[in-house]
Amino acid sequence: MNATIRQTVRAALVLVAVGALTVALAAPAVASHVTVRTSMPSAGAVGEIVPLAIDLHTPGGAPLSGTMVTYYLHMSFAGVEGHALIGRAVTDDAGVASLRYQPRTTGLHQVRMDYLAPGATTVESVVATFDVAGGTQLVRSAGGIDIPGINPGLLMLVLGSVWLILLRVSFRLVAIARAGGADVPPEGDGPR
Amino acid sequence: MATLSGWQERLEETALAPVRRTSSRFWALVAAEVAILGWGLYAYSFQLRDGLVVTGMRDRISWGLYIATFVFFIGISHAGTLISAILRVSQARWRTPVTRIAEFITVVALICGAAFVIIDLGRPDRVLFVFIYGRWQSPIIWDVLAITTYLTASIVYLFVPMIPDLALFRDRLKGRTSRWRAWLYRSLAIGWNGNVGQRRSLAAAIGVLMILIMPIAVSVHTVVSWIFAMTLRVPWNSALFGAFFVAGAIFSGIAILIVVMAILRRAYKLHEYVTEKQFLYLGYLLAAFAAIMIYANINELLIHGYKLEEGAGFHLRQLFLNDFAPLFWFYLIGGLFGPIAIVLFPATRNTRGIVAAAILVTVAMWIERYVIVVSGLRVPLMPYAPADYAPTWVEWSILAGGLALFALLITLFTKLFPIIAVWEVAEDHEATVSAFEVTSPAVPEMPAPSGGTYS
Amino acid sequence: MDRPIDRPTGDRAGELSPGQIVPPERAATPESSPRPWAATIPRRRLLRMLGLGALSVAPMSVLPELLRTVGPGRPVEPVEGSRKPATTRDGRIRQWTMIIDLRSCDGCQSVGGPPRCTAACIEGHLAPEPMEWIEVYEQELAGDGTRFVPTPCQQCQNPPCVNVCPVGATFSTPEGTVLIDQDRCIGCRICMAACPYDRRFFNWGEPPIPPAALLADYSAEHQVPARKGTVMKCDLCPDMARAGTLPYCVQGCPNDAIYYGDLEEDIATNGRVVVAASRFLAENDAFRQREELGTKPRVYYIPGHGEAVGRDVLSPGRAPTEWPWTEIVDGGVTWQR
Repeated sequence: MNATIRQTVRAALVLVAVGALTVALAAPAVASHVTVRTSMPSAGAVGEIVPLAIDLHTPGGAPLSGTMVTYYLHMSFAGVEGHALIGRAVTDDAGVASLRYQPRTTGLHQVRMDYLAPGATTVESVVATFDVAGGTQLVRSAGGIDIPGINPGLLMLVLGSVWLILLRVSFRLVAIARAGGADVPPEGDGPR
Repeated sequence: MATLSGWQERLEETALAPVRRTSSRFWALVAAEVAILGWGLYAYSFQLRDGLVVTGMRDRISWGLYIATFVFFIGISHAGTLISAILRVSQARWRTPVTRIAEFITVVALICGAAFVIIDLGRPDRVLFVFIYGRWQSPIIWDVLAITTYLTASIVYLFVPMIPDLALFRDRLKGRTSRWRAWLYRSLAIGWNGNVGQRRSLAAAIGVLMILIMPIAVSVHTVVSWIFAMTLRVPWNSALFGAFFVAGAIFSGIAILIVVMAILRRAYKLHEYVTEKQFLYLGYLLAAFAAIMIYANINELLIHGYKLEEGAGFHLRQLFLNDFAPLFWFYLIGGLFGPIAIVLFPATRNTRGIVAAAILVTVAMWIERYVIVVSGLRVPLMPYAPADYAPTWVEWSILAGGLALFALLITLFTKLFPIIAVWEVAEDHEATVSAFEVTSPAVPEMPAPSGGTYS
Repeated sequence: MDRPIDRPTGDRAGELSPGQIVPPERAATPESSPRPWAATIPRRRLLRMLGLGALSVAPMSVLPELLRTVGPGRPVEPVEGSRKPATTRDGRIRQWTMIIDLRSCDGCQSVGGPPRCTAACIEGHLAPEPMEWIEVYEQELAGDGTRFVPTPCQQCQNPPCVNVCPVGATFSTPEGTVLIDQDRCIGCRICMAACPYDRRFFNWGEPPIPPAALLADYSAEHQVPARKGTVMKCDLCPDMARAGTLPYCVQGCPNDAIYYGDLEEDIATNGRVVVAASRFLAENDAFRQREELGTKPRVYYIPGHGEAVGRDVLSPGRAPTEWPWTEIVDGGVTWQR
């Protein structure tokens, strides 16, 4: 009799343990009674604005509206890694929150979405990924002044005309030199 | 007419006299100028060896005496423009005796000004980079282009009206001067013998040049002012700078012309040609430009002083009350109101008074350039205590050397070339005499009065 | 007797035209001609013409460089020519930026010494005394109190220094940084007059050069060793960014107040955390220094006064900057700012 009771209790304890474990593992999806679905862009490129959507429902199927969702993107730069805040969105009447995001790097993007379900005391997260292909240059560096109409051509035109006039004057001097063979008028005064 | 050719004879002798005879006083003067120039070069050798740290300039006030002197010299180079070009265009006859020396002051001042820019460079060995790698967007390149053009045009404008006088020298000094001088006059006179064709060409060339050189000269000092006005420094950030600097340039040009003319008149006995009339008229011009400068200053100072934007308050206080007050007040009172007062009162309205006014103006304009450069850089850009600047012995020595170079080149010029535009003065005299004869036809042989008593 | 004064009418009747040759018999007669060298006229005239012609075309030597336009849309080549700009993985050019979080900057008052960003930069670049390529200014606030503002070169997008340089020694790179090529600088210092942030420094004398500097490979991205008579400034350490490390000032800050980033990838880091640059700037009301001047700097500031690291807004003063390595060497000179 004792052995049977002990076996039953052991089995019951195992069942309870397994059940608790299952419940614990299923907690993110089931605890605080929220169902989450994420919808990530299938094909995105750098510079394109893509929607990062998250769908929150109660287990009963009712949409969870008015919940703030905070988006973080996993980034890495100069040897430092971390999650950077990229935006916030609030779930609408359909329980959908969508952040319009412009990816700026290529490769696999890992997004973490945090939300605080009504009635819950801890923030919950869900992680999703999407891929981004390369794109064109978005930010250009400008350098130097840009005044329309002012260009080297104008400057050279002005300068060139001045120097052409000086050249003309030098031709006059040549004319003076050449005319040195002509006779002097009889009067001796005046410019000699 | 015997008396007319006698007058002409006297004029030519006066022009030839400096080339014919050289006194020991001349050599003493040249020796002094060369000595000061040598001292300036000695000081510059320290700067070449140790770098610009031998000056008083530092990061916060990175331009000083050199740039101020550069602007000053380019400013006084406008002497030639006003006298030779503007007055020639307006056919003001009284300018003929002073026109030659005015044109030469222009050329010499441009050379000295360009020298000071090169002295200010941190790497003078790379000065040719300005031509090899020049960027058209840079105010310094505009400067280089404008000054090169102005220098060339001024040299041509000096040379062309000098051709008949060089022919005079060539003919009258033949055989009585050294061979290289004879060769010089012969080459530079380019075969002038006064025939009709040559005179037409000369008149045409001078006509073109006198019109051309005015916009060139205006553009030169405008682009020099843009070196300051194209920056974001509060005292320099003014739309008025171009006109302000051109007016100041002509102002200081008149003043230096009066000073140089007074010295040469005494040295070479030009009293018959450079009379009190020239000084009076130049004095009137000086006073007129002083009035223009006062007007420009009122515009600048009142517009900024009324609003007192950040930085403007500091700048006006440092000009009128604090660090630059002695210099700035001297410039205002001595340099601007002084000439007007001197010309206004009959007691001082004579050659001596006007020469004194011109000396005041020359010194005051150098001070004004210095104040513009240094006070402009002194206004703090960020929250730090304003720096101070004082030129060192190297900078003062190089300034003295530059001024000595200026004086030396003019001194040597007077020994080599005609300092009076003989043919223009003669033409002017003839025209005045014939006008006089037309008005009194009954008097046959009127002795021709000397050039200065016509009013 | 009364010769009419010639007016420039342009009437050339009776005047020899420039192309007309003087008849040889007239030229050959020495008595009628006042010029004894008449027989050799043609060559002299030719030389004179050549001389005058050469004089008039002398300034045209500037022409080739003048026609080389530098405007927006045309990428500015680095003076060394061969350096490729830093790019992302898919080939877009990086756009370096710096974001300084003034909430975390207390002028190193808590550290009790000279500001560490400046010290790290001085040591890393062996900057000659008294150059502070990143300088910590103490600004008075509109209310009471002060804040510390570390100020590197603002890396303007409309840089007054680049605009005025006569020889192109200072130039904008495709990454948006402003560099100086000390091999081309002529030391005219108009760039120093033009910079409205007091961020350019001149080697007035022979700068002290430690042995370590002599071994360094000079480039416009790493201005070591310094050269007498040229201008220097903060270059935003593009050589380090290219290699994937952070600049000296970013590494040196004990409060991680300085962020370094790339606007093209919209990312920045201070060595500890990564942020999305545009959101970080927007959400924290970032500003730029002297915005009204239109220089469009690439260095942004988050307003604050060191409150995040416990500084009271009314505590003034910071320790003066030091150049410890200057003691090591001799043979160079230093000067005051």
